[in-house]
Amino acid sequence: MEGQNMWLDFPIYASVAIVCWLAASGLFLSSGKKLMNQMAAGLSFAGTAFLLVFITILWVNIQRPPMRTLGETRLWYAVFLSGIGLVSYLRWKYKWLVSYSLGLAMVFLIINLNHPETYDKTLMPALQSPWFIPHVIVYIFAYAMLGASSLIALRNLFFVPTERTIKGPIQMADNLVYLGFSFLTLGLLFGALWAKEAWGHYWTWDPKETWAFITWMFYLVYIHYRFRHPSEHKKAMAVLAVSFAILLICWFGVNYLPSAQNSVHVYSE
Amino acid sequence: MSNEKGRKFGQHPWSYREGSTISAAILLIGFSIQAASGGTVLLIAGFPWNLILGVVFLGLLVFSFYFWQKHPVIKGLGSVKAALPAILGFTFLILLMGFVKQDVESRNALVKLFGLSHLVKTWPFILINLYLMILLGIVTMKRLIPYNFKNAGFFLNHFGLFLILFSTALGSSDMQRLSMNCNENQIEHRAVDVSGKVVELPLSIKLLDFNIDEFRPKVTIVDNKTNEIVQNRGIDQLEMLDRDSFDIAQYHLKMEQFLASSEKAGDAYIKAIEPGSAPSAKVVVTNPTDHTRVSGWISSGSYVNSPEAFRLNEYYSLVMLPAEPRKFSSRINIQTKSGKSVMTTVEVNKPFHIDGWTIYQTSYNTEMGRWSELSILELVHDPWLPLVYIGIFLMMAGAVFLFVSGKPKNGGTEHVA
Ligand code: HEM
Repeated sequence: MEGQNMWLDFPIYASVAIVCWLAASGLFLSSGKKLMNQMAAGLSFAGTAFLLVFITILWVNIQRPPMRTLGETRLWYAVFLSGIGLVSYLRWKYKWLVSYSLGLAMVFLIINLNHPETYDKTLMPALQSPWFIPHVIVYIFAYAMLGASSLIALRNLFFVPTERTIKGPIQMADNLVYLGFSFLTLGLLFGALWAKEAWGHYWTWDPKETWAFITWMFYLVYIHYRFRHPSEHKKAMAVLAVSFAILLICWFGVNYLPSAQNSVHVYSE
Repeated sequence: MSNEKGRKFGQHPWSYREGSTISAAILLIGFSIQAASGGTVLLIAGFPWNLILGVVFLGLLVFSFYFWQKHPVIKGLGSVKAALPAILGFTFLILLMGFVKQDVESRNALVKLFGLSHLVKTWPFILINLYLMILLGIVTMKRLIPYNFKNAGFFLNHFGLFLILFSTALGSSDMQRLSMNCNENQIEHRAVDVSGKVVELPLSIKLLDFNIDEFRPKVTIVDNKTNEIVQNRGIDQLEMLDRDSFDIAQYHLKMEQFLASSEKAGDAYIKAIEPGSAPSAKVVVTNPTDHTRVSGWISSGSYVNSPEAFRLNEYYSLVMLPAEPRKFSSRINIQTKSGKSVMTTVEVNKPFHIDGWTIYQTSYNTEMGRWSELSILELVHDPWLPLVYIGIFLMMAGAVFLFVSGKPKNGGTEHVA
C-alpha cells in the first residue's frame, strides 16, 4: 500500500458493496422465506462491513479522519444508511425500508464513483480539534436518520395507504425523526461550542450553519404538527417530504448557492 | 374545527387564522419599519439598559401569565396554532438568509431596502425573535405549573431555547469582537472593531514570537502546455512528500533529499534559514514503461524566491505546491490594567482567557507564510456568555430526553391546545 492513493481502489470496494446490496434487496423483495431473509440481512451487512474496511484503510492511509471532503462524507452516509436499514429490519422487519435505504446508500457510492476524490492529507488548523469527529459523526447520523424517515414519507405519498396500513410506518417515521432530530440538535449545539473555541463566536450564520438550521426548523415543524394533529397523517407526510428536500439542499446544494462563497464548511473537492 | 365558522377572531380556542395573522403582521410591520428607517442597522442599548429591558420583559411575561392565564390570548399564544406560524415565519427569514449572501454590501435595491444582506440586524428578525420568546416563555410556564416530571424534557427544550434567544439578543450590544494586529516585539494595546473603529483595551499584548508548523508540501504533475494538473482515472494526482518513494501518475518518484528550508545555490539547493527560504527536494523520477530516469530539484518558492518546476519530458513537469499550515501560534506577553502579567501561547482552537477577555489566534501575513512577523489576534468580551451556555446545556439535556423518551405514546392528544 506504500505510496498508493487509496481512492484508486475505491471502485473495487464500491462494486463489491453494491453487488452485496443489490442481491440483498432482491432477496428481501422477492421472497418470503425466512432463510432467504436471513441471507439477505447477511449480505447487506457484508456490503456495509466491506465499506467500513475501506474507510479504515483510508483513515490510516491519509493520517486524518476521513470526514472532510464531500466524497468522504458520502462514504459515511452510505455506511449509516445501510446500517440503519439493517437495524430497523432486525428490529421491526420492514423489508421495504431496508431496500430503500440500501438503494439510497448505493446512490451515494455511485456519485462517488462518478466524481472521484482527490487525495488530501492536510487538515486546516481550525479543524484539528477534539470536537471535529463527534460533530461530524453526530450530523451524519442525524441526516441519515432523517433521510430514512423521509423515505417513509415518500413511500406513503406514492403508495397511498389506508388509515389502517399507515399506522406502522408513521410510527416508524416518528421514531426516526425524534432520533434524528435529537442528534441534529446535538450537532448544532456541539458546532456552536466548537465555533466559540475556534473562531470566537458560537454562531456566525455561515451558509452551512444557516442551512443546517433551516433543516432543523422544518423537522421542528413536523414534530409540533404531529403533536397537535396526531391523526392528520397525509399532511404530516407532506411536511416530512418537504423537509427532505431541504435536507438535500443542505447536503449537496449549499456549495452551489451564491450565498456560500468562502464558507469554512464548503468542502474541498 | 366544527364551530370554526361561528367563532369570532381571537376567541378561544385559537385556530391557525389567529396564529398566521399575528406572524404575518409581525413580518409585514418589521419589513415596513426596516424600509422606512432607511436600512439603518438596529442596535439594542448596552449595559445597563439591556439588563433593565430584560428584567422588565421577564416581569411582564410572568405577570401577564400569572393574571391572565385563562384569557383566550394567553391560551392562544401558548398553543401550537400560534407556535407553528411563528416557527414558519422565522424559517422564512432564515431561508432568505440562506439565499442572500450575508454581511456584504449588496447593490441590489430590494436587498438594500429591506436589509436582506444583514438580516440578523433588521426589524423583522428582531420582532419575530421577540415574539418567539414570548411564545416560548408562555408555553414553558404553562407546562411548568403544576409541576410534573414528565414535562422535564419539554421544559429543557423550550426554556433552553428561550434562554439562548434571550441572552444573545440582550448580550449582542455588550459583546465586543475586536481584531488586533501584533508585530513581533512590539507592544499593542489598541484593536479595531468590525466597523474599523479603533478601541483602547484594558490590556496590552506583546508578540514575542509567531510560529507556523507546516505540513510537508505536496507535489503534482502538470501538463507543460496547459499547466493543468494531470489526472489518473479521473483523480487529481497530488502526493505529499512525507515518504521516500511513491508512484505518481505513471511515474515512480524517489526523493533523495528534502530540505524544509532552503535557498538556491547554482543548480542545486542548500539548507538556509532566512526570511523567504522555501522547501525544496531532489527527486529521481523513473518512467516504468521505457525505464528512463531523470533527476532534478523542485521547490515551492516563497514571497522572495520563485518556484522551481522540474521538466520530466516534453509533455509533463513535476511541481511542488506551497506547503499548507498544520498549526500556527503566537507566544505573547499580556499585561492587564489590573496588574497581571502573563506569558502564554495562543493557537487556533486554543484561546486564552483573561479578565473577561478571550484571546484567539486568527491569522497572519499569508503572503509571507511562515516568515510572517505579523500575528492577527481576535479579542472577545462577552459578559452574557454564561447565560447562553446554560441555555445550550439545557437544550443538550433536552435533546437527550427526546432521544430517550421518543414521541409521546398518546400522540399528543392528552394536552392538545
Ligand atoms: C421555536 C419556538 C417553539 C415554540 C413556540 C414551541 C411551542 C410548542 C407548543 C405550543 C407545544 C405544545 C405544548 C402543549 O400544547 O402543551 C410544543 C410541543 C412540543 N415542542 Fe415545542 N416549541 C418551540 C420550540 C421547540 C424546540 C426547540 C423543541 C425541541 C428541541 C421543541 C419540542 C417540542 C416537543 C417534543 C413537543 C411535544 C410536547 C411533548 O413532548 O410533551 N419545541 N411546542
